[in-house]
Amino acid sequence: MSAILAVEDLVKTYRGTRKTPAVEAVRGVSFEVAPGEFFGLLGPNGAGKSTTLGCITTLVRPTAGRVTVDGIDVMRRPTEAKRRIAVVPQTRNLDRDLTVREVLTFHAAYFGLRKAERESRADRLLAEMQLTEKAGVKPLTLSGGLQQRLLIARALMHDPKVLLLDEPTIGLDPQARRLLWETLSRLHDGGLTLIMTTHYMEEADRLCQRLAIIDHGRILQLDRPAALKKALPGGRILDLWVRSPEPIAPRLEALPGVLRVEKVTGTGQEDGFERLRLFVDPKDGLLDRALQAVQGAGGDLQHVSLTQPSLEDVYIHLTGKELRE
Amino acid sequence: MTAFLALLHRDLRVASRNALPLLMGTLTQPILVVLVFGNILPRLHLVADEFRTVMVPGLMSITMMMAGVQGVLMPLTIDLSGSREVDERLLAPISVLGVAIEKVVAGAIHAAVAGLTALPAMMLLMHRVTGVEVHPRWAVLLPLVALCGLLSAAFGLTIGSQVQPRFSGLLFAVILGPMMLFGCAYYPWTGLAVIGPLQYIFLLNPLVFMSESMRMAVTPDVSHMPLPLLIVGTVGFAALFTLLGARSFEKRTIL
Repeated sequence: MSAILAVEDLVKTYRGTRKTPAVEAVRGVSFEVAPGEFFGLLGPNGAGKSTTLGCITTLVRPTAGRVTVDGIDVMRRPTEAKRRIAVVPQTRNLDRDLTVREVLTFHAAYFGLRKAERESRADRLLAEMQLTEKAGVKPLTLSGGLQQRLLIARALMHDPKVLLLDEPTIGLDPQARRLLWETLSRLHDGGLTLIMTTHYMEEADRLCQRLAIIDHGRILQLDRPAALKKALPGGRILDLWVRSPEPIAPRLEALPGVLRVEKVTGTGQEDGFERLRLFVDPKDGLLDRALQAVQGAGGDLQHVSLTQPSLEDVYIHLTGKELRE
Repeated sequence: MTAFLALLHRDLRVASRNALPLLMGTLTQPILVVLVFGNILPRLHLVADEFRTVMVPGLMSITMMMAGVQGVLMPLTIDLSGSREVDERLLAPISVLGVAIEKVVAGAIHAAVAGLTALPAMMLLMHRVTGVEVHPRWAVLLPLVALCGLLSAAFGLTIGSQVQPRFSGLLFAVILGPMMLFGCAYYPWTGLAVIGPLQYIFLLNPLVFMSESMRMAVTPDVSHMPLPLLIVGTVGFAALFTLLGARSFEKRTIL
């Protein structure tokens, strides 16, 4: 099956001004998305995800490279390309002067749908997104979650082949986020091709069939989430919460079966305890040896956990850092 | 074309909902000027009789210029704000140029409505004042109103897409203010022969052509600039600003 979306050697450099230097936002990104696929671009803020999406949607002019949607070159035939895509942007750009219902019907009118078709689709999507009661109000009076659903309803009005979502769950509360996940899963089950950028691991892991991990404008790794996790050294993660008078990481790294040691910053540090993450190939006696190493350095061990690697671990391994939030 | 008409439909729907404040905003000035210069001052014998006739087309052109600029500038400010509402238009199946021209046409309609409302309002206010010779020739007036509307809206797009929204107040003081004073609104361009060749510097001001157009259409007894110059100037400026405006709009919206 041929790709519904193909991005080839995409480069985007934002020209600098007298005061600001030029920014190489995307430095040669290539990927293909199959029809009906749920594809994710995962990376920190400033990685080049939104710029890549912008190039696909014609709102950003690429410096080099080619994007085709359903075989149509986005740069050469933007109007044709735009008929096939729909965008749920990161900033909620709902038309503040229209009502919720009009947001949908006018959007459909821009795409040339006939009146009867516009009205019946608006009715159906309002019901599907549980917005029927709000049809007469202005969109800016809606909560963030409802606005997000309206954005999706708007995007679906012209029956696109590809739906592009830029950080769709940012700023949503957990309940609204879950509801949105369900909606996206349902659309995917219905056969729609979805492309989503996110910096939430859980979201990417749960929804996306394939993921491109992107940083500094380049794709670092592209695979199914499970395959990405499997590719980590060792295949297991041993977290140790330790306190020690002398540096303990080099001792642990020297142990057989330990492939790499990283210091995890952030949660759960108290009383001088730090969290060390060991990428391990679990062998008999590894835990004993780790314990001995800690004791040998005169340290205390507070807590131990042996887990399957998560996408976050994959990310840290690839970029050497935690996601910048 | 479908997308173009649908966008225009949306803009007119929104404008018609805000018709009262929009018209108040553009009509207040001409009405007050007419009240003072066309009604009070003549009764005090402080202005020449001819002035009342001369200022009517001038005030029409000022009203249209303000309405055209505002009709583009205000929606554009929202469009280009942090929430980027303009992106929805840009994602419609229409070229960026099409989106820009739609904005000009919507602004032009706004300007035309304002101009055509200002005229009867002014005549009503001066209906008991003697010596006012305003005789609109509708067949000439209507196409000229449309053309001048396009010019003013295109000018609005040009400045609106180049100036940061927070400076739009400054825009009215620094650009539109002087334009109005030197826009032959309160005196006919032909009369400027008294200042010698400097008369031709006035032709750099697009408002001059709008005032002279209205002069030709509503006060046939007052002399106006030669027709070829008037047409070339009005059409030329309208085309120039549409081109410049569309270009800076594209620069501003497509990264």
